[in-house]
Amino acid sequence: MKNDKGQMKPVAWLWLCVAAMLAMGAFCPPQALAQVPARFYWKTLSDANAVPLIINSINGNTNPFDAAHTVTPGADFDATLALAGYGRTFSLLDRAAMAAIILPMGRISGDVTVAGRTFNQSASGFGDPMIEFNVNILGPPAQKNIPDALRYEPGFSVDLLADLAVPIGEYNSDQPLNIGQNRWYGRLGMPIIWQLGPWVPGRRTTLEFLPAVWFFGNNNDYVGQTLKTDPMFQVDAHLTRDFTERFWGSLDAAWYYGGQASINGVSGEKLNNLGVGLTLGYTINDNLNLTVGYKSTVNDSAPGDLRMDGFMVSFVYGWHPLLEGSKRLKEGEK
Amino acid sequence: MKPMRSIVSRLLARAELLTSSLPPTRAIVREPGNLSPLLRMLGIVVMATALTAPPIASAADTLRRPNIVIILGDDLGFADMGAFGSEIKTPNLDSLTKDGMRFTNFYTHASCSPTRSVLLSGVDTHLNGLGNMDEWTAPNQWGVDGYEGYLNNRVATLPQLLKDAGYHTYMVGKWHLGKTPEQIPAARGFERDFSLLEGAGSYWDMTNFTAASPQSVFTEDGRYLTRLPDDYYATKTYTDKLIGFIDANRGDGKPFFAYVAPQAPHDPYHLPREWRNRHVGEYDKGWDAVRQERLKRQIELGILPAGTKLSERMWFIPDPIVLAPASRAILGKKMELYAGMVENLDFHVGRLIDHLKKIGEYENTVFVVFGDNGAEGTDLFEMIAGKPGTRDFLFAAIHWSQTHPNAWGDPGSYVAYGPMWAQVSMTPFSQYKGWLAEGGIRNALIVSGPAVKRPKGSVNHGLMHVADIMPTLLEIAGASYPKTNDGGELPALMGKSWGPVLAGQAESPRTEQDYLGWEIFGNRAVRQGDWKIRWQYQPLGKGDWELFNLATDPAERKDLAAERPDKVRELVALWDNYVRANNVVLPSRSPFEALDDQLPKRVPDDPGFPPLIYKRQFVPPKDMMADPKP
Repeated sequence: MKNDKGQMKPVAWLWLCVAAMLAMGAFCPPQALAQVPARFYWKTLSDANAVPLIINSINGNTNPFDAAHTVTPGADFDATLALAGYGRTFSLLDRAAMAAIILPMGRISGDVTVAGRTFNQSASGFGDPMIEFNVNILGPPAQKNIPDALRYEPGFSVDLLADLAVPIGEYNSDQPLNIGQNRWYGRLGMPIIWQLGPWVPGRRTTLEFLPAVWFFGNNNDYVGQTLKTDPMFQVDAHLTRDFTERFWGSLDAAWYYGGQASINGVSGEKLNNLGVGLTLGYTINDNLNLTVGYKSTVNDSAPGDLRMDGFMVSFVYGWHPLLEGSKRLKEGEK
Repeated sequence: MKPMRSIVSRLLARAELLTSSLPPTRAIVREPGNLSPLLRMLGIVVMATALTAPPIASAADTLRRPNIVIILGDDLGFADMGAFGSEIKTPNLDSLTKDGMRFTNFYTHASCSPTRSVLLSGVDTHLNGLGNMDEWTAPNQWGVDGYEGYLNNRVATLPQLLKDAGYHTYMVGKWHLGKTPEQIPAARGFERDFSLLEGAGSYWDMTNFTAASPQSVFTEDGRYLTRLPDDYYATKTYTDKLIGFIDANRGDGKPFFAYVAPQAPHDPYHLPREWRNRHVGEYDKGWDAVRQERLKRQIELGILPAGTKLSERMWFIPDPIVLAPASRAILGKKMELYAGMVENLDFHVGRLIDHLKKIGEYENTVFVVFGDNGAEGTDLFEMIAGKPGTRDFLFAAIHWSQTHPNAWGDPGSYVAYGPMWAQVSMTPFSQYKGWLAEGGIRNALIVSGPAVKRPKGSVNHGLMHVADIMPTLLEIAGASYPKTNDGGELPALMGKSWGPVLAGQAESPRTEQDYLGWEIFGNRAVRQGDWKIRWQYQPLGKGDWELFNLATDPAERKDLAAERPDKVRELVALWDNYVRANNVVLPSRSPFEALDDQLPKRVPDDPGFPPLIYKRQFVPPKDMMADPKP
């Protein structure tokens, strides 16, 4: 009957717990297909930092750098898109909040067939940086310290989300295909996380929704014309499930509606499309998280339908001063 | 058929009522089938009377022998019930104290099966088969009478005697006194049972702790269960079963004896989710603060005298105020879970009480409530799961690895709260389960019901022992302890009836000359009057006799052995008597034999030492502060 020295050492699992929270993808940024990955809005310890790097390979009839998903009938684009950024969590009036900036970059090329003639276009460079702000309005309070983090369970939580893209990305007004969009645009949304069952790593299940409306300013120099786009309503949905403490997956769906574009007053069609996908996530170590996924539109046989599919690989490196300091002390002990 | 059965039952009940009011001679009460001619005649008269009696409560009902319910909390600490100073909410157990009385000087043994063996046999552990726990029987005890590791057949059991005296006898919960067909509850006097035969296990299923013994064994009414009932949760199912037993036999009018031995709150702390978050953050303040609060309430409640001091915080337990908030939160969460275990137990006790009230039996039921030993401060799971590479570690990896705090309480989790909280549960005493300091053997006791004639809610400080329960309950039931059992001579009961104490005629069942003795795992102790000696393995003991005056020092802070060698000699002589009288064989091996090498060197717990980590930032006088000169 050895006495319980072991029970006096809570540090070991604490480490895993908080590190996992940092690296589990809470900082994945918006990406191509205009759908953020599952578990994007999970909350973590305040004052944590993360740098994401997301790489997408996308094919379709729309420009993945364009959140409006304006369809170009008959087009076939290939894009390699990377998003790098920085995010930080903080407490705002005792609510969990997050601010992030994301910079898209990459290249896109494609053929556009109009009236039997095929044109090839390409673009590369940096896109429009996007600033994102998210704050929780319903659910547990911010995790201001590790005890808060230990006791956190989302239950049913609702956030308010605002995104704003700043039109400073590379733009060539001589062609419609661009990395930058030459207009302001942004999004208002309400991320919802619904915890199903226990909140135990390895057994977590969530149903997540993100209803949002995208707003677009005018592009007054769209190949010498004016591009206007109506607001677009979008709902992302994810059913996520842990497979192990470090490995999870999700079934993803996204519905796009509206976003009717007009060029010099000539309107295109409204979007009314559905995309589905799969995502797998893995926590590589205390700081680094890996996500891979595939998404594709499904009702995309008509020429005017949104058609897009893509693979995605993301790395998110997260850190918190408390954990890094603890890690140094731990290393010092060795 | 039903009306006829009902009439017959009523007649039998009335006959039983009559016999119960007669003098409690063994010949009468143990062999109802061989009633004396006088009784037979009386029975016929009663039956004849009953046939013509109106179906309302008769005068005979007032003479009914009381039902008896023993509630034995597993590792429940002295200070864990609200009526004994706890912040844990136990309204139902507390209600029994309001309808009865509390005892503050009540002793059990230092671990579970020894206590249970004494409770059910009234005989010292070294005679009844539990001279050592089955799990720790030492090589020199193997094959020695009294050290069988199960309740041996040289003792009579309380349920057996009560059954012979006309009681229904029920048991639900943990048995831990043997597993073979001749050792199980049904073989030892219980008519109905739903029992976990092990010392512990999952509350959710049949999972046990080791690869060698991976499955808990249960019995129901003497049959070994192949599976557990649907919707099984130990404490709930035990209560459901007991209520079913009571109801099934209610019509025959016989009193019942129910031995309610829930696993709770023994670790692992398995608990339904809705019970886990009732004290969130409440224990982040740390064990010292909670101990102080409990002691304050104990003094206010009259459980302990004013001026009582807390025992030392054990030297290997940190002062919680120097711990990081995260550490306090996670260690506090263990206590939150424990509190939930106790509250859940209380809830199910409440269900039983409510049911007895509903069927009109509560007023005629004697309750005896206590914990089986000190609170558990040892990491049982670490002992079992061992180190990576061992067989049981692999077993634990598969079956007991739900270590995340949010999984605590689920199947597959194993949480125990550790020595710091065990000390809280045993406020204000020293040490915990397995040891013979007061924290290992002193427990809270509640007795309520018709046997209690003292003012309701009173507190008694008389010297009591778990062995007293057998003679007390036999007396209440109108039964007696036989001289022989199955042809063999029975050992004498070691306890003393509480009858005079409950009746308000005495403050203690013991005189100043009576003494109590304990030995388990090689640790040993004797108490006589206010004095106690104890010998314990180092470093929790000194490997030598220590002497304490419990009247002035219940927390055993000051060893008086050097000051009072005469008293030590006197008590050691009693110890020698105890050894001789009970065939005590000190074990050649002990779970504590190497503890001295496993714990840090023992040092005093001087508050505020070292100042290095307690001294706060020096702030100079404002008028003497200045910026540096250029």
